[in-house]
Amino acid sequence: MIDPPVALLAELTYRCPLRCAYCSNPTDWRDYGDELDTAAWARVLREAAELGALHVHFSGGEPLLRDDLESLVRAARDAGLYTNLITSAWRVTRERLAALADAGLDHVQVSVQDSDAAHADALAGTSTHAHKLEAAREVKALGMALSVNAVLHRRNLARVGEIIALAESVGAERLELANTQWHGSALAHRDALMPDRETLARAQAVALAERARLRGTMDVIWVIPDWYEDAPRPCMDGWGRRFVTVIPTGVALPCPGAHGLPGMVFDSVRERALGDIWREGADFQRYRGTGWMSPTCAGCERRDVDFGGCRCQAFALTGDAARTDPACPKSPDHHLVRDLRRERPATAMEPEGPLYRIDIRRGPRAS
Amino acid sequence: MSDDARRPTLARRARLRWDAARAQHVVVVPEGVLALTAEGAEVAALLDGRRSVAAVIDALAEAHPEAPREVIGDDVRDFVGRLVARGYVTLEAP
Ligand code: SF4
Ligand code: SF4
Repeated sequence: MIDPPVALLAELTYRCPLRCAYCSNPTDWRDYGDELDTAAWARVLREAAELGALHVHFSGGEPLLRDDLESLVRAARDAGLYTNLITSAWRVTRERLAALADAGLDHVQVSVQDSDAAHADALAGTSTHAHKLEAAREVKALGMALSVNAVLHRRNLARVGEIIALAESVGAERLELANTQWHGSALAHRDALMPDRETLARAQAVALAERARLRGTMDVIWVIPDWYEDAPRPCMDGWGRRFVTVIPTGVALPCPGAHGLPGMVFDSVRERALGDIWREGADFQRYRGTGWMSPTCAGCERRDVDFGGCRCQAFALTGDAARTDPACPKSPDHHLVRDLRRERPATAMEPEGPLYRIDIRRGPRAS
Repeated sequence: MSDDARRPTLARRARLRWDAARAQHVVVVPEGVLALTAEGAEVAALLDGRRSVAAVIDALAEAHPEAPREVIGDDVRDFVGRLVARGYVTLEAP
């Protein structure tokens, strides 16, 4: 008996006016232009709710670029889902936010790139910072719940205290401090974005102290950085266990990073019902449970705690997605992670030149 | 006593609903789900911002004449307190 997912991650589009170097979307994101239409998404939302999902996270790319977002929020609410919009707030007007609130949007998560406009706009490759703070306040004024999200890396970790103050100043109830995960553009820019241990330790100390100070006002969530914790991340809370992702073209995946793994079948919601894919799809079955595990994980008492770590990371570092995540000290490949850490020079100087989301074309993706 | 006069309200960002797939009542919040017992769901449904804590206890005591009122009172205060601590319920002044 396979448990139903708790949440649908609906990646509505990979188009985005920002150009963050840490973007986790596939680097050939332009090739996913054959997007599901409104009716198809409405059906997917219903199927997800029937399957047992309670949340939908509308994400991207920039979901605001879909001009049917209001209809999709309404469809999600009609299906009983709790609706969350993950956005850069790019040029969003008060009217549009009001229309989204009206459609039943419960929660908005606004991403910030840094604590001040100069650094943030340099990272985003476009001028958005000042506007997104206004938009965040508007979200609150309209009565929706507000979270702020900041992806942390070598170029902004030193300002984590200022980022926390910024989130506090716009009245966020939640702040997610997410250390960069190495997928997509972030993986390609790893050397420029990966911090050194001291900077990370200082930032973590600030974040944890602020979390204690803000308890009851703003939830501060510190997402542990890949490779510096001596424990693998329980990626997606286990493969095909709690989350289902549908990408812009309609392919359903156990994890948004799974595009890049070899041997994937890529079942699409255009051809199969979401529930069938969740229960029987080969991609979902591949690393579900413990049957696929190497002896290292299969014999380990933490196999139901971290599920063997991240498949994408195992593949990126070892070329074999079924190996123990090299972030784990028990992994025979753990030296790979240790070496990468050791090579990090100190983050003393200001960063060196612009760095953007990768933008390459390989040719259109079939759905 | 003054605490019992305050009016607990389920936060706007927290939604109480029946989760058919798992056959349980839940409170859904931005990034998580809180599973409730049947008793918890009965209390949560009364946190409407109009009833005081005392009125919630009264309503439950009336619905469950078999249960001692002190036990109901302790359970309600404990339950509300835990939801307040997690930010899912706010307490309005009387
Ligand atoms: S990380 Fe930046 S570039 Fe990538 S989708 Fe988000 S806002 Fe756009
Ligand atoms: S050996 Fe596998 S299951 Fe055990 S801690 Fe490491 S990754 Fe997790």
